[in-house]
Amino acid sequence: MGYKASENDLIAYLYGELEGKDKEALEQHLLENAEARMELERLQVLRHTLGHVKDKEVIAPTIFVGDNKQRFFWNAPYFKTIVSIAASLLIILMVGKFSDLQVGYSNGELKISFGGVPEVKQLETTPPNPSLTSTEVQEMINASLNQNNLAMQATWTETQKQLDASIVKNLAVNSAKIDNLVRESSAASQAQIREFVSGMHSENMQLVKNYFQLTSSEQKQYIESLLVDFAKYLQQQRNDDLQVVQTQLKSLEQNTDVFKQETEQILTSIISTVGNKNSLGAKN
Amino acid sequence: MTDTLLDIAMMHADNLIARAKGGDQNAQGKVVQLWYKRIYNFSYKFFLDHDLAMEVSQKTFISMCKNLPALQENARFKSWLYKIAVNYCREEVRKKKGSRSLSFDVVWNRDAEDSPKWESSSHRFDNPESQLQQRELSDVLQAALLELNDEQREVVIMKEYEGLKFREIADVLNISENTVKSRMYYGLDGLRKILERKNINKETIGYGL
Repeated sequence: MGYKASENDLIAYLYGELEGKDKEALEQHLLENAEARMELERLQVLRHTLGHVKDKEVIAPTIFVGDNKQRFFWNAPYFKTIVSIAASLLIILMVGKFSDLQVGYSNGELKISFGGVPEVKQLETTPPNPSLTSTEVQEMINASLNQNNLAMQATWTETQKQLDASIVKNLAVNSAKIDNLVRESSAASQAQIREFVSGMHSENMQLVKNYFQLTSSEQKQYIESLLVDFAKYLQQQRNDDLQVVQTQLKSLEQNTDVFKQETEQILTSIISTVGNKNSLGAKN
Repeated sequence: MTDTLLDIAMMHADNLIARAKGGDQNAQGKVVQLWYKRIYNFSYKFFLDHDLAMEVSQKTFISMCKNLPALQENARFKSWLYKIAVNYCREEVRKKKGSRSLSFDVVWNRDAEDSPKWESSSHRFDNPESQLQQRELSDVLQAALLELNDEQREVVIMKEYEGLKFREIADVLNISENTVKSRMYYGLDGLRKILERKNINKETIGYGL
């Protein structure tokens, strides 16, 4: 066994790290070798001497850990980039959130909008709107029709009243004229005419009344035609009346002419007879 | 004393490291609290310089927090942590080599600063306070430690003061256990010679105490 090996063993033995066979061998060697014992003793003394060096007290800087942490997290490039990306994403999200940004792809069209949801809804609701308004429009049409009907009714009633008034006036005028004419003519004819006219009048009135009653029941179109017919009819009647009156007057004239001729003939005959009688008397 | 404390620390650490690995910042903070003193004292003994020791410790723990999730076995945390510390220490040594004259100045100045104490200790007055004596002895020993070469120094500190097992030190330094033991032996041998030269022996220590 070389000296070198026992030197290392000696050191190991000195620090109590020699075990088993080596330890026994060294202990044996120490027993046999005084020089080795001396060596060990010197080393032990030295160790004792060295043991007088005391540890310097030092306080671990507490900031150190914090510093360390900061260096770790804030100086790590990955962390920085990740944080910056996250921050920018967050900003985008926030902006998107607050501006109500909508990005969507549907039916082959890309939609980017701010506050798009209501717009989309509007777009979607516009098609149903006409269908909704169609009923409304119908209602409106109905309402306007009703309004028109009411207006028409009003105008009709007005025209009816006007016509009524004019008819009454005309009738009055006509009757007055006829009356006058009849008054001028003979009492019999006058009475006849008056009766006729009054009959006519009352008949007409009845008819008109019936007409009005009918027209008040919803047949406005019919009323108009009726009124027109009635007007025509009245005109016809008047013409007829006038013709009748004329014929009457003519007949009266004829009568009067005849009467005159007769009276003339009678007068001439009377005169001639009187003349003849006188001549006869004279002769006789 | 330190060994038992370290054991307790390790016991806690197993659970704590698992949590710290999971990103628990509270646990990471506790790990730092637990190990800061050890790493600081390791690097302080290595450089005998508070500022450098603080720098190395801070760098070590920043690196620890960053790389903790990559740690394969929780049981190897201790050697892993020391490996980081040793690497930062070596880095500082390389920096120092870049400005060699300055480094010697620093060492020289430090010695000059400590010179009154040196004088007092070398004269060994009869009535110094034991605490002061101890501080003096501690300073002498640490100065002696600084005279070792880096390889021996880191092994001696890790073994003698940090209580790492030879296997763990071998793991930290990526060398064989025998090399560690060999470096330890020569380191101790060197220290003994230095202390002898400084006239520090069993008797003087006993007197001082």
